[in-house]
Amino acid sequence: MTVFGWLQILLFAALVGLITRPLGGYLARVYAGEFTPLRPLLHPIEAALYRLAGVKPEVEQSWYGYALSLLIFHAVGIIALYAVLRLQSLLPLNPQEQSEVAPDLALNTAVSFVTNTSWQSYAGETTLSYLSQMAGITVQSFLSAASGMAVAIALIRGFARRRSPTIGNFWVDLTRGTLYVLLPLSVAAAFLLVADGVPQTLAPAAEVTMLDGGFQTIARGPVATQEAIKLMSGDGGGFFNANSAHPFENPTPLTNLVELVLIFAVGAALTNCFGRMVGSERQGWMLLAVMAILFGLGVGGLYSSEAGGNPALAASNAGPANTQRPGGNMEGKEVRFGIAGSALFAEASTASSDGAVNSMHDSFLPLSGGILLANMMVDEVIVGAPGSGLFGMLLFCIVAVFLAGLMVGRTPEYVGKKIGSPEVKMTILALICVPAATLGLTAVASVVEPGLAGLGNAGPHGYSEILYAYTSATATNGSAFAGLSTSSPFYNLTLALAMFVGRFLVIVPVLAVAGSLARQSIIPRSTGTLPTDRALFVCFLLGVIVIVGALTYLPALALGPIVEGLQISRGMLY
Amino acid sequence: MLDATMLALVVICFALAKAYAGLCDRLLARAPGEDVPP
Repeated sequence: MTVFGWLQILLFAALVGLITRPLGGYLARVYAGEFTPLRPLLHPIEAALYRLAGVKPEVEQSWYGYALSLLIFHAVGIIALYAVLRLQSLLPLNPQEQSEVAPDLALNTAVSFVTNTSWQSYAGETTLSYLSQMAGITVQSFLSAASGMAVAIALIRGFARRRSPTIGNFWVDLTRGTLYVLLPLSVAAAFLLVADGVPQTLAPAAEVTMLDGGFQTIARGPVATQEAIKLMSGDGGGFFNANSAHPFENPTPLTNLVELVLIFAVGAALTNCFGRMVGSERQGWMLLAVMAILFGLGVGGLYSSEAGGNPALAASNAGPANTQRPGGNMEGKEVRFGIAGSALFAEASTASSDGAVNSMHDSFLPLSGGILLANMMVDEVIVGAPGSGLFGMLLFCIVAVFLAGLMVGRTPEYVGKKIGSPEVKMTILALICVPAATLGLTAVASVVEPGLAGLGNAGPHGYSEILYAYTSATATNGSAFAGLSTSSPFYNLTLALAMFVGRFLVIVPVLAVAGSLARQSIIPRSTGTLPTDRALFVCFLLGVIVIVGALTYLPALALGPIVEGLQISRGMLY
Repeated sequence: MLDATMLALVVICFALAKAYAGLCDRLLARAPGEDVPP
């Protein structure tokens, strides 16, 4: 580990901390329909969209109506994206003459981007036309992120409102999130990326003659605009197969830093937005503190593990690290980012729900791979994707106050709302469907022939590849461990199912919690109230997240990265 | 044929999700006599 490496990490944390409050305030004003500097410019567009869609912005919905609107919207989104992918050979903006995408792959891709996962069983530059990338993938990156933000805002309203039968209007929240937040930030970020070398063109791939006289095709396209929202949306699906390791997606350490900040920007700001909307910014800072501690533990573990290098290599003829060969695990990492830049990106990408990669996670050491898995297994509550990270964290808050209430024999409450049996039932439903899908599908794929056929490695590493794939899909992360060949109907369909479960079967009970809470009054704080804006609650919440995660996933982790980590120190490789 | 199968899968999944939302709605309904928070 180096001082410069730690400075990179601290600079990133400081930048995220700096933008959290102003962006959080902006989000709160946007969703309340209050004045913002962009409102004079964008409000006419917003109003026109409502008129066009027949939406009455002043009419709010119950949680059930909100959920149905969301489900219908995304069902149409999947069908539309599926159609674009299947028909791309007949549609314009296809200079490389890409053929239509196979049905199972098209379904997997459509579900993947609509659910904000961006799992990619294809290489973008050799599979998709520019139209598919722009009108299909990029559009869904915006809409899926705006939808996640809308759900988080609806849940916050549940906490903030008194005796309200409604939690907002899905169409209004979706429109505002897209128009006032994601679009302006994406445009600004795209200009930054273009300025540092990311291409933005509709010209076909470049055909160049190399120095030895041979020819090379260099893929390019409308990369910058997709890149910006790919990171900010928590989507993570790259224009190129190598994702942010590709020099056209992430050319320099500066773009690497910009991309990292984009990954966390909206998710972190939503914690402040939560605090403002419930009337206590401190509540939001407490949530961010929990996220920061978990993030710090993760990035510290990753960086030290990767910087320590591969023990099997050190024991071989190569000998231990020395000043001429500083060591560290550089396999699968870009030299321009180094170990710190790669570890930080991997941690941010799996802690959030983004799933973008600037290094190959399959090449990380086993225990590092375990950290990446653990990040996703705790429902990506460490900032997470816009919206999903916050509502995941709020679900854990409900569990924490419920457990605290059991301990002291008082009715649990959180930010002025009593947590009764309906809220706890919905919370458990939301929290349990993710591990059920992850572990169930991993178990199936680990024993059936089509699942085993995709393995690139044997033993615990191969198992980790399968576990990672389903964990990433249900957590709507989308990053791949690589090594596992998932371009088969079995994986395309089962991973699509995992993504569907991980997104919609979580969102529905979250909205139900919002509806149930909104119907209550706000109870005043009393001497018996558990203070949830103090360090004690931060520690308690941390304990709950770690214990729930460990109880659920430790056996699965023991069979993969943990046993592999123990064996690699004895020279056993897979 | 495969396209129809894929689209049918989408429709079935969303129909199940709607039923799941209905189940959540029923679970939320408090039983008679159960405490209603203030």
